[in-house]
Amino acid sequence: MATEKYNLKQEIETVREDCLRPAQKWGRSTQIWIGCLLIVMGWGLYCYIHQLRNGLGVTAMRDYVSWGLYISTFIFFIGISHSGTLVSAILRITKQEWRRPITRSAELLTVVSLLFGGIIPIIDLGRPDRLGNLFIFGRIQSPLMLDVIAICTYLTGSMLFLFLPMIPDMALCRDRLTVCDSPFKKFRKWLYTKMAIGWKGTKSQWHRLELTMTIMTIVIIPVAVSVHTVVSYIFAMTLRPGWNSTVFGPYFVAGALYSGSAAVVLGMAAFRKLYHLEKYITQRHFDLMGRIVLALTLIYAYLNLNEYWIPAYNMVTAEGHLLSYLFYGSYSKAFWTCQFGTVLLPIIIMSIPKGRTKTMLPITCIIIVAGAWVKRYLIVVPTLLHPFMPIQEVPGTWSSYFPNYVEFSVTAACLAGIFLVITLFSKLFPMMAVWEVEEGILIEHDKQIAIEFRTLREAEVAKIIEEKVNISIESIKQPT
Amino acid sequence: MKMNSIINITFRAIAITFLFCGNTIAQDQSQSQGKSEATIELSYNKKADMSKTAVAVIKAKNNEGKFVPAKNTQVNFYVVNDKKKQLLKSVKTDIKGQAVIVLQKDLPLDEDLAFTIVAKIENDTLYEDTEEKMHYKDASLTLNLNPQDTARLVTAKVTETGKGGIEIPVKGAEVRFYVQRLFGIMPAAENNTIETDEKGEASFAFPRNIPGDTTGVITVAARMEDNEQFGNVENKAVTSWGTVLAIVRDPFPRALWEPYAPLPLVISISMLFGGVWFTYFFIFFNLRKIKKEEQLAINDSTV
Repeated sequence: MATEKYNLKQEIETVREDCLRPAQKWGRSTQIWIGCLLIVMGWGLYCYIHQLRNGLGVTAMRDYVSWGLYISTFIFFIGISHSGTLVSAILRITKQEWRRPITRSAELLTVVSLLFGGIIPIIDLGRPDRLGNLFIFGRIQSPLMLDVIAICTYLTGSMLFLFLPMIPDMALCRDRLTVCDSPFKKFRKWLYTKMAIGWKGTKSQWHRLELTMTIMTIVIIPVAVSVHTVVSYIFAMTLRPGWNSTVFGPYFVAGALYSGSAAVVLGMAAFRKLYHLEKYITQRHFDLMGRIVLALTLIYAYLNLNEYWIPAYNMVTAEGHLLSYLFYGSYSKAFWTCQFGTVLLPIIIMSIPKGRTKTMLPITCIIIVAGAWVKRYLIVVPTLLHPFMPIQEVPGTWSSYFPNYVEFSVTAACLAGIFLVITLFSKLFPMMAVWEVEEGILIEHDKQIAIEFRTLREAEVAKIIEEKVNISIESIKQPT
Repeated sequence: MKMNSIINITFRAIAITFLFCGNTIAQDQSQSQGKSEATIELSYNKKADMSKTAVAVIKAKNNEGKFVPAKNTQVNFYVVNDKKKQLLKSVKTDIKGQAVIVLQKDLPLDEDLAFTIVAKIENDTLYEDTEEKMHYKDASLTLNLNPQDTARLVTAKVTETGKGGIEIPVKGAEVRFYVQRLFGIMPAAENNTIETDEKGEASFAFPRNIPGDTTGVITVAARMEDNEQFGNVENKAVTSWGTVLAIVRDPFPRALWEPYAPLPLVISISMLFGGVWFTYFFIFFNLRKIKKEEQLAINDSTV
């Protein structure tokens, strides 16, 4: 028993070391990576300033397509933000023990993608200085206003949801990372002390933390669903072909879950490789996540069929024109690539066990995430190019759209921003919830002990029964 | 020798083809560089407020050979009588190819008491010089109706101004009767055209089933359209012959477009998001408690 205790203690110590190790190092490759991201962000900022100075006319957006790459990216990022809810909240609420090493990265992905997703509509404004008017003169019945409220609520909730399981880890970082020789030691000490909010690990503190986490887990799921439903209302409540659809709410939620879960797999694979977490994020995690992504892709494919098949059966007026444009027109290649390449193909790949390996699944998820981005573009742009009533007296060139360098640069800067925040986070905080992984080990250990006890007891009972049976046989054999 | 002659013929054929093509291209270029033809459609309108306007619509052929409105083209309007030609105004056409001028009340008249307006495109960089003339007499169209009349007869009287300012009734002029709607005018009936009699009067029995506003008020319009002698002349009169428009209050109005949100929506959203934010505050409250429990843990350890 003493050896077992020693082993358990050692195992927990190994977990702590493995989780905290990446936060202690700022290697050359990290610095180069951060430098590259800053360059991309700097160029994006320059382009945005150019856009601010000269107006949205410097982009490729005109009277027809007034929501282009920016709003497509906004929906995509909001969709990715469903990752944290799915993996962390849903798996937490269903008590899936294997979730433990991947919840932190999923929750982080939610917060960061929401943060940058929320910034993009402001970038899309010609006069962002008038943003305050939304709060002064905003109409609660407007889907845009509802969207602002829902995103702010979800962002606050996601930050809390990320922060709550970090509290015991912050105490661990406060006690460990500030005594060893790590970069920005003073800053770290201040940060960890503040974020640990005086965590001592007392029974009442654990009780309160568990209570708050349970509440947040329950609350964050409907909030996340509401966000993407409200985002879909921006489109569905507009009288335009392709948008004015009753299925848009669940269609957007399913699309978000599908792309978000794929993004979680990418995060898993990246952190596993970069921070040497192979011991914790195993083939089992990829297999189980692959099953989840497969299930969500099937749901998304079903809603996709409903979204296009019913109007395609009728092919009435403007809706028919839009569908012809998507099916046979200039967007047909992108449309069919999305349908077959990023929905049907991943379904086939993930249906077979070899498609859910630690190599194959991330590749499939890259395809899914890229396809989800293109799909958002296909939802936004072709509809804008096909209004019910054509816009009068505009140049012919305005009736087509392809983003220009300003839009690409600003969007790339947002994406670089996401990577930068994730990188900085991973260099300051453990990317796995240390206490949760430890708890998992303890539960597994308790299970093992319980199994051993049960086996032992069963063996003892069997021995007693055997002895009793032997005695009774002997008594029968003896002559009366 | 034979080979030489074949080469020679081939060379000549190629040279002739090039020359021909070159000539054709040169001709096309000279045509495209030259001025193109434009057409002018000129009309005269006398409105209900007695204002008179001359409207010139300019059209020119585009590259596909179709006539399209020529915008931003200068049109000079002249008034011409037996003695002289006087420039009234120069106006540039709008995006619809229209150039409009308001005519003065005392236009110089000819001996037959008519006025002549000429619209001209002169020295334009794109279009050849062209002109269009119109020659009309001034006419008056008065509307007479009695709101109390149960027969609902509306009478339009057309007169022209004779020598010495005498009003002379115009016989045989076609007058059309309309009803004013929000975005234009609508024929008052299927057969809305009546000819004036020897008194210059055209009477029209106004239909009973035309919707008016909430008090039944409608505007009746009478028009002479494209009249050879008088151009377009119209007049309007307001009467309460329309049916009263009853506004039924919709129990489920499209309130999303109204300035104020419907109360049930405000209550539902406030409850939903308020509930979520209340939970967040509860979480913050618990975080504060966790913070406070640190002090208790320190106190316990010191005791």
